[in-house]
Amino acid sequence: MKEPFLQIRGIRKEYGPVVAVHDVNLDVRRGEFLTFLGPSGSGKSTTLYILAGFETPTKGDITLEGKTLLATPSHKRNIGMVFQRYTLFPHLTVGENIAFPLKVRRKSKAEVDSKVKEMLRLVRLEGFEDRKPAQMSGGQQQRVALARALAYDPPVLLMDEPLSALDKKLREEIQHEIRRIHQQTEVTILYVTHDQEEALRLSDRIAVFSKGVIDQIGTGPELYANPRTRFVAEFIGDSDFISCDLLSSSDGQATISLGGGSVFNHIPVHGKGTSGTRAALMLRPERIRLSRAQAAGAGLAATVSDITFLGNNIHVSTETATGEALAVRLPFGHEAIAGLSRGDIVHLDFDPGAAHVFC
Amino acid sequence: MSTYSDASGAIMPLPKARRATGFGGVVPALAFVAIFFIAPVAVLLLRSVLEPVPGLGNYAQLIGSATYLKIFANTFIVSGLVTVISLLIGFPVAWALAIMPGRLTSVIFAILLLSMWTNLLARTYAWMVLLQRTGLINKMLIGMGLIDKPLALVNNLTGVTIGMTYIMLPFIILPLYGVIKKIDPSTLQAAALCGANRWQCLTRVLLPLAMPGMAAGALMVFVMSLGYFVTPSLLGGTANMMLAELIAQFVQSLVNWGMGGAAALVLLVVTLSLYAVQLRFVGNQNPGGR
Amino acid sequence: MLLNFDRLGWWKYMLLTITVLTAAFLLLPIVFIAALSFGSSQWLIFPPPGWTFQWYSELFADPRWLESAWTSFKIAVIVTILSVLLGLVTSFGLVRGSFLFRDALKALFLTPMILPVVVLAVALYAFFLRIGLGGTLVGFVISHLVLALPFSILSISSALEGFDKSIEDAAVLCGASPLEAKIRVTLPAISHGLFSAAVFSFLTSWDEVVVAIFMSSPTLQTLPVKVWATLRQDLTPVVAAASTLLILLTIILMALVAVVRKVLKQ
Repeated sequence: MKEPFLQIRGIRKEYGPVVAVHDVNLDVRRGEFLTFLGPSGSGKSTTLYILAGFETPTKGDITLEGKTLLATPSHKRNIGMVFQRYTLFPHLTVGENIAFPLKVRRKSKAEVDSKVKEMLRLVRLEGFEDRKPAQMSGGQQQRVALARALAYDPPVLLMDEPLSALDKKLREEIQHEIRRIHQQTEVTILYVTHDQEEALRLSDRIAVFSKGVIDQIGTGPELYANPRTRFVAEFIGDSDFISCDLLSSSDGQATISLGGGSVFNHIPVHGKGTSGTRAALMLRPERIRLSRAQAAGAGLAATVSDITFLGNNIHVSTETATGEALAVRLPFGHEAIAGLSRGDIVHLDFDPGAAHVFC
Repeated sequence: MSTYSDASGAIMPLPKARRATGFGGVVPALAFVAIFFIAPVAVLLLRSVLEPVPGLGNYAQLIGSATYLKIFANTFIVSGLVTVISLLIGFPVAWALAIMPGRLTSVIFAILLLSMWTNLLARTYAWMVLLQRTGLINKMLIGMGLIDKPLALVNNLTGVTIGMTYIMLPFIILPLYGVIKKIDPSTLQAAALCGANRWQCLTRVLLPLAMPGMAAGALMVFVMSLGYFVTPSLLGGTANMMLAELIAQFVQSLVNWGMGGAAALVLLVVTLSLYAVQLRFVGNQNPGGR
Repeated sequence: MLLNFDRLGWWKYMLLTITVLTAAFLLLPIVFIAALSFGSSQWLIFPPPGWTFQWYSELFADPRWLESAWTSFKIAVIVTILSVLLGLVTSFGLVRGSFLFRDALKALFLTPMILPVVVLAVALYAFFLRIGLGGTLVGFVISHLVLALPFSILSISSALEGFDKSIEDAAVLCGASPLEAKIRVTLPAISHGLFSAAVFSFLTSWDEVVVAIFMSSPTLQTLPVKVWATLRQDLTPVVAAASTLLILLTIILMALVAVVRKVLKQ
């Protein structure tokens, strides 16, 4: 068993009566790109600041390569960080900015010069050495910030929503850069964002934060196919929810009944529920099967409320008899779409293995 | 403030390092100000009720004596006159500055700032010379045939008023300029469209909108004039004292700390009350702002 | 319409006239004194019968004038250094700190600026007499520091408030200790505030009259006190020469401030 690289154990942070972080536990692998994903107030940024040393946790510990980090002050932790706001030193040139951490570590002039050149090459800003931050665009500034953070070869690089101040196109460009730099340098990156698309695009693994705890950690596909909480199911990708009755639950599989009497077995279930209670059935829009044929087997009847053409997909909004809205995504050219119009009654069913029940 | 908003607008508490530099930073200045500002002033004011004997005797003397009352009256009258004249001149100038084309504005501004920052003694001395019987002003007035004999323009309260107005003008013009500049021109245009002529626009729209700025400036000038020492002393002559010089005389010439403290307290109380009035009723208003 | 210069009609000319006259009024005494300092009339007759440098040579030949100027300069420099340092530390506490009464404390620090100086002068005079510092350099420095500190705190706090703290934090993460980060990153970024604080503190001390009158002794006089004492006796044109030099100093400093602020703000 490899020795864990970065271990976060039982971190808790209270601000008076407010608990920002309840109990965060995480093992970060060397060289991976791990994203803290979650809405604002979920504790992801606070956890990152605890790692950086700007906050001290109320409880818990963090060890890096076997040594505890909490006793070390921020400036000795040797961690790199790129902030949300542009934090280049305004009175120094790009080259001097990158050289700063090296000069603080009293490196020789030759070493500093060569490292600065190397970093500028890495972020593809050669020739910008003598520019001042005020003369550069937002995207360029963040790239310099990245170069500065990596200049001293930190084992861990923290990034706190560094692209949220940029426009969409620029954001995608720099996301691509970040991914390339990650592959080239093999540095371990911890990235905070509230944008699930960004998380899916950049990360090896994603830790989904909700109300001060990590609901689930996994790769993008894992989280999408097997969400363990309702929150994760809703936060990653699109999801449909139908209320159902829980008939029985054992060994992680449940039997449920939908309104109209249809019973489904062997559905993965999460959370504790007793028979007879209500639960929520989750389905991905593209895993719902839609047909015109009437009541051929277990399923649900619904009325079409809207049909939207989205290029290679058709988005069909439906409403069940109980008033719940379900979105169905069909590939363009699907047989059921021909002649489909608002008000039509359709039959929806699904493969139990592709669904999830949340109690 | 110990919070900031992150990208999605949530209120986040500031990380601890930002709260670490707290009270420690202000301790040296606080100690300094307490020892060398608050304490000496407090002691002075205490002496007003403790010397020569405990009680309000000094205040009774101040109020009872015709001489002292005349000095109080002079001080208030001169300050009032200075305030009114400054306002009358300052308002049109501030108005003009707010709407004039840029280059002329810069020149006038430079003159204003130069006037403000030039040594007070130099400026007062200039008026001492200008206002003499044989001075330039009298010479010009006689030369233009407006008067036969030179006027007594200095060593009296007239000279003080002229000199103080000179000093105080920039203090009215600059804030008023700021206030007028912030008024949205569309407000005035709307008034014109409603049928108001220029005079009505002025009295019913512009003046009321500029009023908070005028009140604030007027109060500041009045308070400053009340406590002014240098200009009234030099331009007023020995027979026409104002409050600040009275305090100085009690302390320096007469070594009467009780009376000096009493007069100082009166000045202080009036000053602070006027500031309190300003805070309460005028405040920081932004009339019809952009 | 009233706020549109071209649409004012004949009111435009009235406003313009008042403004130009006022500007002339403000400028007149300053120009007058400068002119007078070169006039050959001892009784300050204007226009003067002739022109001369005599008053200036009298000024520079008189050791008491030069001494008072030197005293003023010494005091002003010391006050400037102390004011900027103390203002810097205090501003960090006021801007970065979060403790009870912070706003009240800031108001307290600014109070010496708004109170009548004569009250402060008299109070400090009594205080220093008691502890034996009256008429000493230390007494002068302390009194002027009380007056200059509010300006310093205002300038530096304002600059510090406009500085994004994340930049300082980034420096810390780069490996600089909190103190090193402040010195290497924050101070350069707020240098325009420090410069303003220095200039205001210097001028406050250099031009200060009222406190100086009480603090002075026959052996220790600042330049303003020398001018004051001279004026109480007669209106000699030597004062005009001194005044003109002071006016020149103001102009130079104003220009310097404008230039330096532009340069530093980049």
